[in-house]
This record gives sequence, structure tokens and C-alpha cells, in this order.
Amino acid sequence: MAKPESFLPLKTNWFHILLSLAGEDQHGYGIMQEVLDRTGGKVRLWPATLYGTLKRLIEAELIVESGERPPQEADDSRRRYYHLTRLGRRVLDAESERLQDLVRILHAKRGLEVIQ
Amino acid sequence: MRSLTLRIYRRLAFAFPQEFQMVYGADVIELGEDAIDDIQAQYGVWGLARLLADIAVRVPIEYLSEMRRDLAYALRTLSKSRGFAAVGILSLGLGIGIASFSASEFLNLILRDAPGAVDPSRLVIAMGTSYPYFEHYRDQHDLFSGAAAYQGPIPFNVSLSSGNASTKAERVFGHLVSPQYFSVIGVRASRGRAFDPQIDRTGSAPVVFISDQFWRDRMDADPDAVGRTIHVNGQLATIVGIGPKGFRGVVPVFPAEIFVPTTSPAAMVPELAGDTLHKRDAKVFQALFRMAPGVTLTSAEAGLDTLTRRLDEEWLDPARDVKGRRVALVPGGEMVPIPREMVPVELAMALLLNSLILSLACMNLANMQLARASARRREVAIRLSVGASRFRLVRQLLTESVLLACAGGAAGVLFAYAGAAGFRTISLPSALPINLDISPDWRVLLFAFAVSLASGIGFGLVPALASTRTDLTSTLKEGALAQLRGYRRVGIRNLLMVAQVAGSLMLLLIAGFMIIGFQKSNEFRIGFDPLRMYLISLDPVRDGYSGEKAADLFAALPARLKRAPGAEEIALTEAPPFGPLITNSMVTAPSDSGTREQVAQKIAKETVGANYFAALSVKVIEGREFDVRDQDIDTSKTESLPVVLNEVAGRAFFGNHDPLGRRLLETSRAYHVVGVVKDLSAPMSETEAGSEIGPEVPTVYLPLTQNDFAHSPAGGMIVMVRAGRGRDTLEGVRKEIAMLDPNLVTFNVRTLSEQMDRTTFVIHLVTFFYGGVGGFGLILAAIGLAGVTAYSVARRRKEIGIRVALGARQAQVLRLVLREGGTLVIAGSVLGFLGAVGVSRGMEAVSSTFGPTFAAGSHDLRLIFGAPLLLAGLAMLACYLPARRSTKIDPLNALREE
Repeated sequence: MAKPESFLPLKTNWFHILLSLAGEDQHGYGIMQEVLDRTGGKVRLWPATLYGTLKRLIEAELIVESGERPPQEADDSRRRYYHLTRLGRRVLDAESERLQDLVRILHAKRGLEVIQ
Repeated sequence: MRSLTLRIYRRLAFAFPQEFQMVYGADVIELGEDAIDDIQAQYGVWGLARLLADIAVRVPIEYLSEMRRDLAYALRTLSKSRGFAAVGILSLGLGIGIASFSASEFLNLILRDAPGAVDPSRLVIAMGTSYPYFEHYRDQHDLFSGAAAYQGPIPFNVSLSSGNASTKAERVFGHLVSPQYFSVIGVRASRGRAFDPQIDRTGSAPVVFISDQFWRDRMDADPDAVGRTIHVNGQLATIVGIGPKGFRGVVPVFPAEIFVPTTSPAAMVPELAGDTLHKRDAKVFQALFRMAPGVTLTSAEAGLDTLTRRLDEEWLDPARDVKGRRVALVPGGEMVPIPREMVPVELAMALLLNSLILSLACMNLANMQLARASARRREVAIRLSVGASRFRLVRQLLTESVLLACAGGAAGVLFAYAGAAGFRTISLPSALPINLDISPDWRVLLFAFAVSLASGIGFGLVPALASTRTDLTSTLKEGALAQLRGYRRVGIRNLLMVAQVAGSLMLLLIAGFMIIGFQKSNEFRIGFDPLRMYLISLDPVRDGYSGEKAADLFAALPARLKRAPGAEEIALTEAPPFGPLITNSMVTAPSDSGTREQVAQKIAKETVGANYFAALSVKVIEGREFDVRDQDIDTSKTESLPVVLNEVAGRAFFGNHDPLGRRLLETSRAYHVVGVVKDLSAPMSETEAGSEIGPEVPTVYLPLTQNDFAHSPAGGMIVMVRAGRGRDTLEGVRKEIAMLDPNLVTFNVRTLSEQMDRTTFVIHLVTFFYGGVGGFGLILAAIGLAGVTAYSVARRRKEIGIRVALGARQAQVLRLVLREGGTLVIAGSVLGFLGAVGVSRGMEAVSSTFGPTFAAGSHDLRLIFGAPLLLAGLAMLACYLPARRSTKIDPLNALREE
């Protein structure tokens, strides 16, 4: 299995998709909506780009097509659901950590600036 | 707006590669439909445009990604069958490499313009003109917009002076030019000025113009070079200009590094001694013309011819009655001035050989692809049955063959450059420097690469289409045994095979004809040990001698050198013995009692000193050879010069009549025959189409005279010293020369044997090249045949199994399999043989360059029987190895597969 670090830094689209799958399985439309909501409408994953990215994420084994369907009342039978793999989760963690480190460094520098 | 956007969006979604469409096509459309209202509400028209742009960009990206996967898959498959890949790449690479290299060499020599020349197609050259004639030609303003005379390449002893000291003199080749030379070619100085008739006049201070190469190599690109003085043949001259980069004179195959005007003093340029510029019979200049608009080479030639006849009459030229053209123009401004009519023949030969090589390589690839396609039909059938689209599979198979073709093309480029690099290290047998710029021509490489790519696509597509159009059930059941549709027993593969054997045999025979013809017409016949003759070059006029002093030196030299220990025979000559001879003189034997006038168009002329034939152990058949008396002749006062003929020349002029005492005429000279000698072989000489086969060239020998001593030729005067065994004669000879004058420079000291090696080097090169071409054809044919037989064995596994089960013996099975290959080999051999004989007869009839070689080589029985037998033997071996596998077939296994 590929090492999570080999995917870093993660492409923006990849990161957003992995992030929206972090909670629960989603279908394409759900991912798009989730990203829109989460970013306050700033980031839109356009349809063709979204499915192109999903295809690559599956090839990289970061996500899989989910075998489980949600409860019948919430299930949209036309749609396919995607699920984060273990590798996907580790990649997401690694990316989050990398971003956190960056933020930490930034804060540290800011702190220094204040002291000076 | 919304519905139009959706319509376009759906269309674009259907343009995705099939794999993507199958999995995500519906989702992409659905998501678009679901999101479009939201998008329109949020972004308006721009949002709709953005939606379309997103999918329009994504479609090609998905295709690229598919291609990348195809490529990766192709690389994996090819790396699994490394043998197949290596043979394919190597054979295609060799084919492209050899074809590109030889075509580039040809293009560079024949079709490339001289660097630096402006509108070079308007330049023409008349060889062998005297300066007074040139001055009349120059005034033909209706024919020419410019004219210049030049002589060269001629050697100059050049030394650079720095302060009071000067460096050691070096021999540099250059042109003696009339001041119009540069303006006629259209060359401007990159620094300083070019010569100008208004400035450079007789009597003005000596000047030189140097090439860019000279400036860089010998003056370290000195920025103050213009205005510096250098020593040229011992005289001081000022550099007035430097040529543009790449310019090396009007015939760059013989590069000129230094240009000296005809206005220079004779002390600096020995070629100008004896009032050469005013002598009508000193036909030592080349006239270079720029044709006026609308004038063609033919009309210019006709115009000059009429003028020359008038001048001949006026000036009572001894050869004024000689029939035939008086002036021949050749195209100038090209690497080599070659008469236009020769180009098509040379082009045809080069085209024939190169396309044979290239098509053999392509045919081979095609055959290999076909064999592979049929072997992979099971894999293809499985992939089709699990839902792969046909388009996808064709694309996949095509990617493989294109990859193979590209790798072959890349190998070809590599081979072509390696060949050129190897060739550049070779020194050619010439006293003059030769500039054979044979870096592979990018146009040729591009073309060859395109051919290989096309063959990759074409020969990949046909089997790919065929193998994906199969009946799945039967293929899956039969495995590799099922027939490819449309490929019956007399199918495209067999036709390809016959063509390949025919092409290979043709290549082998043509190569063989060339090699044997070359060797036969270039044999040395020599009556003594060439290791015991030394050739030493001297050029006293360029060491500062006056003409008279040089003549005195050469008169005294033979007697002096005889004192050297072991020296047996001494003679002088202008060119080394045993050629190569240049057969460009036209000599006429006027009609006399009992004989008709006889004009010989292609006669070689050699200028040799006293005792020349005795020194070479050549028998004088009739009359005498030259002696010291002939050396004292003053050519300007003598009406007729004594000449010696060789036997073929004697027969050419006088048939069975006695040549002694008969007269001969050349353009400006008259001769009388004083002797006839046995023929000397002269390998590598040009001979006339359809002329007698063999190394004898009709030659008129002229005596070395005072005049020749004063103007020694470009290679200097050659002293031949034949020595006895076991003594260090060369050292003694050197001492004697040093005792005569310690400042006299000896150069180019070699034995006759070394000289002969240099001459025959080209023969070895040709043998090597054509041998390589022939061998290449053989290897290709063998690979192709082995492939076909292996395929046929695989195809008939079941049939063979049944036969073995029914009691067929091994030999019978083998015969069965070999019969198929044998038929193809025989059919191909017959066609190839006829093709090669046809080409050879054609060349004999039309080409003066290749004709004699083919005439000499194409009747060689060893070759006529040997080449087809060799090919057939190899072909049968190539059939036998896979055929042997057929005898190992276990009938039980073969039958169980059904």
C-alpha cells in the first residue's frame, strides 16, 4: 500500500472530497453540496471535475464505491455512494497535520513579531 | 439558455472515453441536470458558461489519462516479450539509421547550397578557362549580371607574425580570386571589407581575405585581426576582411580558408608567375558567373560556346577545329559542382537503395505485428468477452505498435548520428582537404521517422482490427489456432514474406554487385614491392624559390638523391602513381593517312618526369619514355609537346595503327607521340559508361617541364624514390635534401604502400557499407521467415497432432511444415533475382557513375549463384528451427485442447 505521505501536499479538490467523506458516505451531489455549504459557497466542485477526481481517488485507493446504502427513507436509489478507505483516512489525517503545522509555524512567527 | 446549455452539456458528456462514460457518464449528466438551476441562480450566464467549460476541458484530460494507461500497459507487455521488442526496435532502427545516413550524405553533397551564397541557383561555373577568355566572358551583360575568375584550392604557406617573430609556416588551402569574386557570390565581410575592383588594383599593397574558420582556429578570433599583417608564401600581406560564418568558398567541399586577389604580386602567388593573367592558353582559372534574370544554364552555355569559337578563330587556337562543345557550365553555389544531368541517376540509385532498406525494415515490423496479433487473439477475445470495447482494444494494440515504431525511430536517429560521427574520423585519400559535412539531415531524419511511425500505425492497425473482429466462441475454444479473418493461406502475411525475401535478395545482390564491381575495377597491378618506394613532396616555390631556381633544384635533385644509400630509381611526378585519375580531358587525334579523326572525351592526363616508367617497372612497348631533355622544354616556345600514351589510349586514338610520331590536339596544345607504355592500373578513377571493364584508364602522359617546376601543383612536386632491401634509404634521402637546402620543407612523406592504402580506403569503406546493407537484408529476411514458420506451426498444431496420432513420422511432419516456407523462399528468390538483374542492367545503361561498377560486378558467378543460395540456406534454417518444434508436438495435448 502506498504511504500517506506520498500524496502530500494534497490537491485542493482531493482534500475537499476526502473531507466531506470523513463523516459519512456521500454521493456526488451530496459531496458537491457539502463542500458548497462548508465553504460558504466559495468552493464549487463542478460536475465533470468532481467525477474525474472521484475516478482518480478510486484509482489511488483513497475511496471506494460504498456497498452499504443509507436507510431507505434517505436513500436516493439513482445515486452511487462513496466511502473513505483506511488509506484515505490516513492521507486526510496526514494532510490535516501538515496544515496544522503550517498554521503553528505561522502563529509562532506572529508571536515573535509581537515580542519584537 | 438553460435548455441549450443542457443540450450541449449532454453532447459533451457523450464525448468522454468509453471507459469513463460506462462508469460515470450517467452520473455526470445527472449531476449537471440537478445543479444547473442552482448554478444559474448563483452565477447567471457566466455560471452556465463555466459549467460547459468544465466539461469541455475534462474530456481531453480523460483521453490523455487513458493514453497514459495504454502506454504503461504497452510498456509492460513489450517488456514481457523483450526478444520481440528488441528485434523490432533494432531492425527498424538499423533500417532508419542506414537509410537516413546515406540519404543525408547524398543530400548534403548533391543538393545542398554553399553556405553564404545569395540565390545560389543563379551561379554557374565554367571549368578550365584562361584569364583573357574570362575577360571577354565578363562583358556578356545580356547573359550574366556578374562574373569572377578564381583558381583553387591552391596551397599557401601562411605564418602569423607577432612583433618581429613569426610562427612556423603552415600549409593552408585557399582561392586565388579576381576582385569581383565576393560580390558575384553575394558574400559580405563579417568584419572589414571584401575585395573590390575599385580598390584592389594591380600594384597596390598585398592583401588577403580570411575565412571565419581561419580567424577562429588560427587567430583565436582576434578582434583586431583586420589590419594585421601575415606572411603568405614568405611575403607580407594585410588582412582586409573576414568572411561570414560557414563561408568556405564557392565549392565548399574543397574548403578555402584564405582568399588572395589576382592583383597580388607573383612573388606572393606563384600561380601568377609567367604572366598567367595574359596567357590565352593558361586555362587554369574557373569562371564563376551569376546568370542574368531569365537566362538558363543551357542558354548561357550556348552563348559562351559561340563566343569561345569566335575567340578561338581570332586567336588561332590549335584546337579550333575540334568538334563538340567548347564550354561546359556546371551549377555553382552547391557543395559539389555536379552536372545537372547526373543528378537524377544519382538520386534514383540513392532512392532505390534507401527505400529498399526502409521498406524491408517496415515489412519486417508488419510481419512481426501480424504474427503477434494472431498469437494474442485469445487475450483479445477474453477482454472483448468481459466487456472491453473494440475501439479500446484497437487503441491499446495500436499504442503498442506506435511505441515500438517510435523506439525504432529513436534508435534509427542514434544509429545515423553514430554513423556520421564514425565517418567524420576518416581521412580521405586526397592531397587537398575535403569537407564532407555529413551530419544527418534533419529533413531526412524527420521523413524516416514519419515513415516508421506510419508503418507502426498502419501495420499495427490492420492486425488490431482483424484480431478484434473475431468470432468469440470459436476463438476462446481454439485459442491461438483460429484463423484471422481475411488471412487465408495465400494471405497478406505470405505476400509480405515473398516481398521480404525478394527485397532482401535484391539488396544482397545489388550490394554484392557493387562490392565485387568496385574491387574488380579497382585492382592494383604492380611489379615491385610498394613498401620499397617512398613518395616525398616538395614545394620550393612556396618556400620562396623563384621559378628558375626551382627548376634548377629539380634538375639537380635526381642525381643528388641517387647518392643516398640503397636508392635505386628516382623520378618526379605531379600526382602519385596509380591514380586515382581524373578523366576530364578531351583530346583529338586529327585525321591522317588511313585514319579518321578520333575525339576522345574522357582522357586522363598525367604530368611525369624523366625515368618515371622505369622507376615503376612499367614496360615501354614502343618508342621511348621521357628523359632529361624533355624537362628542358620551354612550353611557350614549343609548338608541339612530346607525349607518351598507355595502351588503351593508343588503341582509343589510333586503333591498330602505330601511334608513334602521330599528332594529338587539345584545346590549346598540340602533341606528338614519342612512346607507348603498358597500362598502369588506376583504381578509383572515373570511367566512361559502357567503357572497357577494368582498372585501365586511357591516359596521355605529358613531360614535366620548366613551367611545371615553377608552378608546382596543389599537392607539391612528388619525388619517387625506389630503394633496395634492408637499407634506411629514407633517412639518406632526407639528408641529401637538407644538404641541398636546409630550409626546403619536405611534407607528406609516405611509402607507395601507404599511398595505395589511402586510395583503397574508400573501397574498403564502400565494401563495408554495402556489405552491411546486404547483411542487414539477410538478417531481416531470416527474422521474418522464422516468424512466419513459427506462426504456421502454431496455427497447425492440432492438424499436426492428428497426423502424429495417425502415425506420421517426424520427417514427414517436418517436410510438411518446411514446404510452406520453401515455396515462399523460392518465389521470393526468383523475384528478387530478376529485380536485382533489372536494376543492374538499368544502371549499366544509364549511369556513368555506377554503370562500370555494375558491369564489372554483375557477371560474377560466385555472386549470381552464391547470394540466392546463401539467402535460401539461411531462410531454410530460419524455417527449420521453429519447424522442429512441430515434431515435438504431443498428439494427446494437441487434441485435448479442442
